[in-house]
Parts: sequence; structure tokens; C-alpha cells
Amino acid sequence: MDLNDFLELFIEESKEHLQSINDQLLKLETEPENPAIVNEIFRSAHTLKGMAGSMGFEDLASLTHQMENVLDLVRNSKLSITSEMMDVIFSCVDLIERMVESIEQGGDGKEDVTDVVGQLRMIQNPSDPTNVQAGAYQESAAAVAEDIQFDQYQLSVIQEAKKLGNKLYQITIQLDKNCVMKSVRAYMVFQAAEELGEVIQSNPPVEQIEEENFDDSFSILLLSERDTKEIQAAFHPISELSEVVVRELSDEQETAMPIEKAQKAVKSNAQVLPKDKGDQGAAKKKHRSKSIRVDIEKLDHLMNLFSELIIDRGRLEQISRKSELTDLTETVEHMTRISTDLQGLILNMRMVQVEQVFNRFPRMVRDLAKELNKKVQLIVEGEDTELDRTVIDEIGDPLVHLLRNALDHGLESAEERTAAGKSEEGRILLKAYHSGNQVFIEVSDDGKGIDRGKVLNKAIERGVVTQSEAETLSDREVYSLILSSGFSTAEKISDISGRGVGLDVVKTKIESLGGSISIESEPGNGSIFRIQLPLTLSIIYAMLVKTGDETYAIPFSSIVEITKISKDQVSTLYGQKVIQFREQVVSLVSLKEVFNVPATDTVEKQELFVVIVRKGDKIMGLVVDSVLGQQEVVLKTLGGMLTNLYAVSGATILGNGEVALIIDSNQFFK
Amino acid sequence: MEKMKIVAFRLGDEEYGLDIQFVQSIERIQPITRVPNAPEFVEGVINLRGNVTPVLDLRKRLNLEKEGHTEHTRVIITKFEEIELGLIVDKISDVIDLDKESIEAVSSSRIQSDNFEGIAKTEGRLIVLLKLSELIKIPGK
Amino acid sequence: MTKVLIVDDAAFMRMMLKDILTKNGFEVVGEAVNGEDAVEKYNELNPDVVTMDITMPEMDGITAVKKIRESNPQAKIIMCSAMGQQPMVLEAIQSGAKDFIVKPFQADRVIESLSKVVGM
Repeated sequence: MDLNDFLELFIEESKEHLQSINDQLLKLETEPENPAIVNEIFRSAHTLKGMAGSMGFEDLASLTHQMENVLDLVRNSKLSITSEMMDVIFSCVDLIERMVESIEQGGDGKEDVTDVVGQLRMIQNPSDPTNVQAGAYQESAAAVAEDIQFDQYQLSVIQEAKKLGNKLYQITIQLDKNCVMKSVRAYMVFQAAEELGEVIQSNPPVEQIEEENFDDSFSILLLSERDTKEIQAAFHPISELSEVVVRELSDEQETAMPIEKAQKAVKSNAQVLPKDKGDQGAAKKKHRSKSIRVDIEKLDHLMNLFSELIIDRGRLEQISRKSELTDLTETVEHMTRISTDLQGLILNMRMVQVEQVFNRFPRMVRDLAKELNKKVQLIVEGEDTELDRTVIDEIGDPLVHLLRNALDHGLESAEERTAAGKSEEGRILLKAYHSGNQVFIEVSDDGKGIDRGKVLNKAIERGVVTQSEAETLSDREVYSLILSSGFSTAEKISDISGRGVGLDVVKTKIESLGGSISIESEPGNGSIFRIQLPLTLSIIYAMLVKTGDETYAIPFSSIVEITKISKDQVSTLYGQKVIQFREQVVSLVSLKEVFNVPATDTVEKQELFVVIVRKGDKIMGLVVDSVLGQQEVVLKTLGGMLTNLYAVSGATILGNGEVALIIDSNQFFK
Repeated sequence: MEKMKIVAFRLGDEEYGLDIQFVQSIERIQPITRVPNAPEFVEGVINLRGNVTPVLDLRKRLNLEKEGHTEHTRVIITKFEEIELGLIVDKISDVIDLDKESIEAVSSSRIQSDNFEGIAKTEGRLIVLLKLSELIKIPGK
Repeated sequence: MTKVLIVDDAAFMRMMLKDILTKNGFEVVGEAVNGEDAVEKYNELNPDVVTMDITMPEMDGITAVKKIRESNPQAKIIMCSAMGQQPMVLEAIQSGAKDFIVKPFQADRVIESLSKVVGM
């Protein structure tokens, strides 16, 4: 069997279980008494162990085994949870994560586990760090001897049974060398024997067998009416028995046996084998829906095929409008409805809950807080908010950055907090929610807020703004300065967020995803970093506009309104063309000018179409020749060579097969 | 002798060639969407079976005189390191086999040598072999 | 061909088992991801033999064994356990499971167990 076939699945599932262990461990820290949590962790550790063993990753298997042992003691109330124990388990999980990572990168998953295994053993048995199996084992192993001894009671039972036509058999069982769970195997032998007659003795005694205090073999004495052959056959279905010897004992052999030194009577149906304390108690079970895994590439391909279909649909719509055939029109309309549903479905399939990204943060924040010696409570809300897969893949790093920033720069130390009359424990809220066609993710803290003066001083010092500019800036504008490149307000460069990488990386990333970021802050009360992202990056609603002979698409998400004005409404302010729009002065940009659209020989129009677009809370007007209408368009890139073009974010293919460029109006704002 | 296949084509009176391993297909000229603020030699983008593909005017790229499109004008779709690109040429000649030995290094100072792999002499023809890896670079960047 | 129903919450384990079984002439007629699913699938597919994981969400393997045996006393079920699960394996055997195999799975051992149980 080629294990590589399973490697991918192994890695994926291992990661899921590690995540679950991490989550549950964090919960356990707050609710150490909750047995359901321990059970959940145990289950994951257990599954991991099984998978690792199957793949031949011995270190991983032995580590998870030790971890499982500790958890087993905890869930059976033989150990209680201490903070040291949690630390050991966490470091154990880290080690496992490293192993899985190593395996993922083609390594052998080997790590030095002796230290952690030693610590785990120490927890299980503090008095004996080497934790060697007790000597009783060896002793009993030798105890499988040939001599059989009966007490008075047993002898009388044998006599009685014989009168009823029973025979006495000695059955010697040799277990397979590789047999694990010998006690269970032995139990199955006893179970089979019970069906044949009465077991009157075993060697070693049942108690020892139950405790697995025996070597590979044991024998039982059985009273049965059956013959040797039948008895032999009854044991056949049991696996892992390498030898079953059935011997009928004659009267002489019995009576020759000394009576004294009696073993305690064997009554194997007196069920003393340990009962399961297992998982039935686990309350609150996770709901799992039926699902299959699909390669993301297949989804991308499906999406591409579907966008081809949309293009053809657009073409069909045009044809049917021209043809004025009712049948055709109706069919096309129906097709439009269906493809809209289909599109919703396809987009939906690509949506992933942000939980996937969020779930690693609690652990990160915990570790970071320890490192910084701060007390913090991370509250996560809206984990079930969905985002397009492509966005999910990219959003993790910026969020890590913001969380670190909140923890490092936002929150004060415990002493400072107490001095400011706040609770010692800081609070960071990570929250995701939908609004319209947008998804918002907020990172807020109840820390000291952003110091306007400090930010401005630094900005002036660095030449980002001038002294006079500084005075005119709104608070919001000042805060957004910390997102400009090379800006860091931390006076003490810490290891956490002072790595020379500023928050500008976050801003760049978010903008490359078609989103934006804004900051609100209140001195003394904390700050909110708000990220706004498009729901999906693949299909957008856009307004098609025409300038000269060229058609452009403007995403709906940046359009406020479209208005028609006459030429004489345009006035000039400081050399800039402006109009009055809803009591606001709005500056105008002519698409024809910024895009150098070749002039067409039409007479200059007296009426202008103005598309009012926004960026944040600023608005401006884009002057175009005409507005063609709204349409769903499929975003395409311009190809490797044409990147970073001014005010063009991509292209789309129209119903007639022509390519139209998509305008990124953000870049028109200065 | 090591052989290679090239696609030979004309730009005016001169003959050029591209290693066929970089050639995806040859297309007739079709509507091209101008891309504002793109480098001058970028003619625009076309819809190539659902993919938006940039198209270069090879004459402009090689600083040759401008010519209008004719019925022979073709777009050679190339692919180099995952980047697809169309090159507008005047006319496709043919696909020919070359011995690698028959390629001479560019020594003439008349032409910028960066864009060229060498000159092949075969059956009395002189074919300038283009270096795609250079052509896709934006000069001055 | 012997029809097998594989029950395990880990897709990885199901794949491993399926691979072993199909390569040795068994027909895997279905896979279930938890006890509940197993009971449903058992009634639907009526397999000759079931391999049953013990620790699973929703409904564990032992409960599933009990449920299946309630309505199908003849059901042949093999427990798939890991080291250290003796008590649970034992309970499963007491509840009517016919055999058990221990992870990591050895192909020979798996085949031995299934052949023996089916031969019963």
C-alpha cells in the first residue's frame, strides 16, 4: 500500500484535530471541571495517535499516546488539571504541530520528543519519572505452570458434572505474539468457553488475566458435554490465537492433584472486568453536516466555465431582444433566472466561514499575552460569517498584525490599567459581520486609544505631513497616518509588533483585496480597526459606461449615484472643475482625459453624465459620455504583464465578446 | 545535431522567428481593447476564448515603422513562464526546422541585441530569432 | 464478494481500511462517519460485516453496536480500536461485536479478522 496516497488526507485531518485540541484546551483553561471538554480533547488525541501509527510516524504516535494517557487520567478524575500540566500539554501540541508541518513539507515528522514525553510521564506518575512497569508483571508471567490444583468445592463440582455426562478439558491457549489487548482476547476465549460448558478454573487466575498480568499463554479447565473436536472448532473464529490445545483430563489426573494451596474459585461469569467509563457522558456533541471535499481548483474551474456561460447568456439576451421572438425571449428569461440561481450556488460553494481564520487566534493571543505579561480576554464574534475562499486565504496575516498591534500597543499593562481605574484584564474584540454586499471585520480593544499628538509629532518628524497640514487634519485622518509606510508609534521596540513591519502592510493587503480599512479611537477608551471587504472577488455588479468609443465598467460598490447635469452647472474652483451635488462641492474627473480616450468627432454635448463615486467618506464625480446600464461582470486579470495600471483593476468580457476594463475609482482620489 | 522548430514570420521585409515551444496558437486579428496608461507598445487586450490576454504591437516593440493591419496580419499567442501574451506580426511564413549550429550570435550593432537570440541562416533566408524573455519586459522598468 | 460497511469518523482511516479491503477481494458497500450514520447505513445496505470505530462524535461505536444488534441480532461487527481502549473493546464484545482490530492496522490482521468473522 502506498501511504503517500493518504498523506494529504492525513495532514488535513491531523490539522483539524490539532485545531480542535487547541480550541478545547483554551476552553479547558477556563472550565477545568468540564468533563465534556476533556473528552473532546481525548478523542482528538486518540484519533491522531491512530492515524500517526498507521502512517508509521512513530514519534508522533508515541507523543500522542502519552498525551492521551494524561488526558485519560484527567477524565477519569484520577488527576486534576494544573496550570503546569496545561503548559506541558500545550507544548506537546506545539510539538505535534511541528511534526505535522514537517511531514507536510515532505519531512519525516521526527522531533526530539524525549523531553515532553518525560514531562507527560512525570504527570502520570510523579514519584517514578522513569515509570517502568511494576515488577509484578514478570512474576506472573512465569506463573503459567502445568500443575493444576483444585479445592474441595471444585472437586465436588467436577464429580457432579461428570455424573451428568460432562467431560473435563484442559484448554491451553497460546496468543499471537503480536496480540494487543490480551485481556480482551482472553475474555473472548472465556466467552466462547462459557457457551460450551462451565469454566471452573484458569491459570493464571481471572483477576490476573483481566489485568493483563500474563504472558502470551493461559489455560482454562472446562466442564463440557461436547467432544474435543467441537471444542476446538468453537475457538476457531477467534482471531490472534496462535495455538489452541484441548486435552481431556482423566480421573487419575484429577485425583492426583493436591487439594491444598487452593486458588480462589473461578467463576468467570462473575463479571469483574472493568466497566467502560467512556464517552457516553460527553454532553454537547458537535453537529456535523454531510459533506464532501472538493479540490478548490475544481471550484475555480467551475467558476470559469460558468462565467463563459454568463457571457453567452448576455449574447443570447441581445439576440432575443433583436429577434422579438416570444418563445426565444421566454426561454432566455428562464435561462437567466436559472443561471442567477446557479451563480448564487457556485459563489456560495466558494464561501468559507471566517472561523477557519479566527480559530487560531485565541491560542496566539494567549501566548502573546503571557509573553507581554498582560492580562487579556479575547472575544470572538461572528465566526460563522462567510467570505470568498480567495479572501479567506489572504486575510489571516493582516488580522494577526492587527491583533498583535492591539495587544502590544493598544492595551496597557495591568498596573497602568488599574491606575486608570479600569479592570486589570484588557479586552480585545474580534468581530465579523455582513452588511450589504460587504463583510466587515473589526479588531477593537479597550486600551489607551491612539494619541493624536504623538502620531502627529511622528508624522511631522518623518515628513509625512507638514506642521500646517497637521492642524487641519480630522482625528480620523490622523489615525489613518499610522497606516502609512514606515510608521511605528511604539517607543519601545518590542518583539511583537516592532519588527520593522508597519501597519502599512495591512493596508496594502486589504486594498489589494478590494477592501479598505479605517480606524476609530477614543483616548483612554480604546480603538477600533475596521476592515471592509467585498463578499466575493469573482463576480461583481458593475455599471457599464461609455466614453468615446470605449466601454468601461465601474463596480457598484464604489458608486453613490449617477446624475445628469447640464454643462453650465460645472464651475471651476482653484483650477479644478466642480459641481454642486446635494449641497456638497464635488470635484469632477473626466474619464476621457485621465484615460486619454481618442476623440470622436461628435459635437460637444450640453449634457454630461456624472457617476458619483466614493472612497471612504469622500466623494467625487466621474464624467462619462453615456451610461449603458448595470450588469453582472466576471472579474478577470489583465494578464501577467499588465499589473499596477493606473485606475484599472481588471477586465471583464462583455456579452458581445469584447473586453471592457474595470475602473478602480479609488485611485482618482488624491 | 540538435534541432529546433521555429515559427517564422515577417515584419515588413524582414523575417523573424520564435521558438515553437513558446507558441500557443496563431490567431486572426480581432477587436482589441485599448488599455489606457499602458506602455506604448501594448496594443491592448483581447478575449482569447474567455481569457483576457495582452497583445503587443511587435513593430512598436522593436522600434520599427508603424504599418496598418492587413488581411495577413496575425497574432501569435505565446506563453512564457505562465504569462500569456499576443504578438502582432505582419504575416506568418511557415514553421521550419533549424539546426542549432546554424544560429549565429548577433554581432551587428544595428540592432539592440537584448531582444534577439541570434540569426539563423537557412536555405538562403536570414531569420532573426526573438528572445521572448526580453520582449515581455517593459523597457526602463 | 463479502460486503463491508466501514464506520469511522476519520476519512483517513476509512480510506486506509477501504484500500486494504478492496485489495483483498472485499467489497466496501458503504462508509459511515458516526454511530447514527452507521445504524442507518446498516439497515439500508445490509452488509455482511461492519468495521466499527469506537470513538466517534454523535454516537459512539459501542452504542451503534448495541443499536444495530437490537434489530439485527445476526449482525457481524468488528471493532476498530486503538491501544488503551480495552474497557471499551470489552464492552463492545459483550454487546455482541464479533472481533476487534487494533490501530495501527496491519493488513494481514484486518483480513484475518474479517475472514474469520465472515466464516462464522
